Amino acid sequence: MKDKHIIDVLDNTSIASLSESELSEVQTHARECVSCREAYEAARLTGVVLQSRAQTKIEPSPFFQTRVMAAWREQQAVESVPAMLRLWKSARALVSSMAVTTAALAALTFMLPAQTAPLTDQTASMLSEESVIMGSDDQVSYEQVLSTIYEDDDEAR
Amino acid sequence: MDLARQAQAGDESAFAEIVRRYSPRVFSVASRFFRQRSLVEEAAQEVFLKAFTQLGSFEGRGSIEGWLTRIATNTCLNMIRGAKRRPELTVSDLTDDEAQWLDQHSGGDGREQPSVENSVVATDLADRVLSVLSPEDQQTLLMIDGEDASIREVAEATGWSESKVKVRAFRARKKVREAMAKLLNRGDK
Repeated sequence: MKDKHIIDVLDNTSIASLSESELSEVQTHARECVSCREAYEAARLTGVVLQSRAQTKIEPSPFFQTRVMAAWREQQAVESVPAMLRLWKSARALVSSMAVTTAALAALTFMLPAQTAPLTDQTASMLSEESVIMGSDDQVSYEQVLSTIYEDDDEAR
Repeated sequence: MDLARQAQAGDESAFAEIVRRYSPRVFSVASRFFRQRSLVEEAAQEVFLKAFTQLGSFEGRGSIEGWLTRIATNTCLNMIRGAKRRPELTVSDLTDDEAQWLDQHSGGDGREQPSVENSVVATDLADRVLSVLSPEDQQTLLMIDGEDASIREVAEATGWSESKVKVRAFRARKKVREAMAKLLNRGDK
């Protein structure tokens, strides 16, 4: 390893996992090679800080289990409600407002007096003689209607 | 397995027992990713609630602990991905304590252990150099170089192949070493 740079060795494995003989070879080379010395130093300190970081562990607090169980119960309660009921709970406001609007529109339509527009001349002319006679309250047959119309025509002649 | 089955059937005491028994393990995994207690607890709670909804997929081939470790790893990775990325490593941000720590520890022997009083500074420095890595690479390097975990253990915890873990570890080690070299050479610039 004396003539071979050690950078690949440093990137392949942590210094902590090198055997005594491997470490000794790496250190010997690092003493003689400036660029490898810098790399070795950086790798060594990286190993030290990473081990320190790995030792930083947070333990569960005594209340953690209680907190998780409370969240679990809440989740269970939500899931136990039937889907249709959950849908109703979320859509209740929308459905209620729609019902109120519909009722208000119905009240306006039926309760207020209807305004009938007078027939215009054009509309009146569209009504045929037949429909006037047929639409009357008297019970008349179609033959009577025809005879009434043609009698009037004959009288006019 | 019995505990898992009972919890799946809605047995509250079985689920409570799972939480009690495995929360130290889940906290240990979450501590790799977060240093704030509130974040570690938030992650751990999410892990257990997620585990409960996924109990049906636990077939009992592996251990509950291994299964929870994987859920914890993925949950924490997702939380970190969603969080704001840390700013790029800059030498000028180095605190006096950190600079002093680096000066004191340069030129030591090969397998030095940080003293307890300096461990907070060393941990801050670790976070600083780790910030150049993706969350996945951070986790890989912390497990292998920090906790002396094997390639196989990392593969099991993450669900990656062993060759993928090796490649990630190599790449991460190189990046972090370069970041540390940058901090060590700060006086030369």
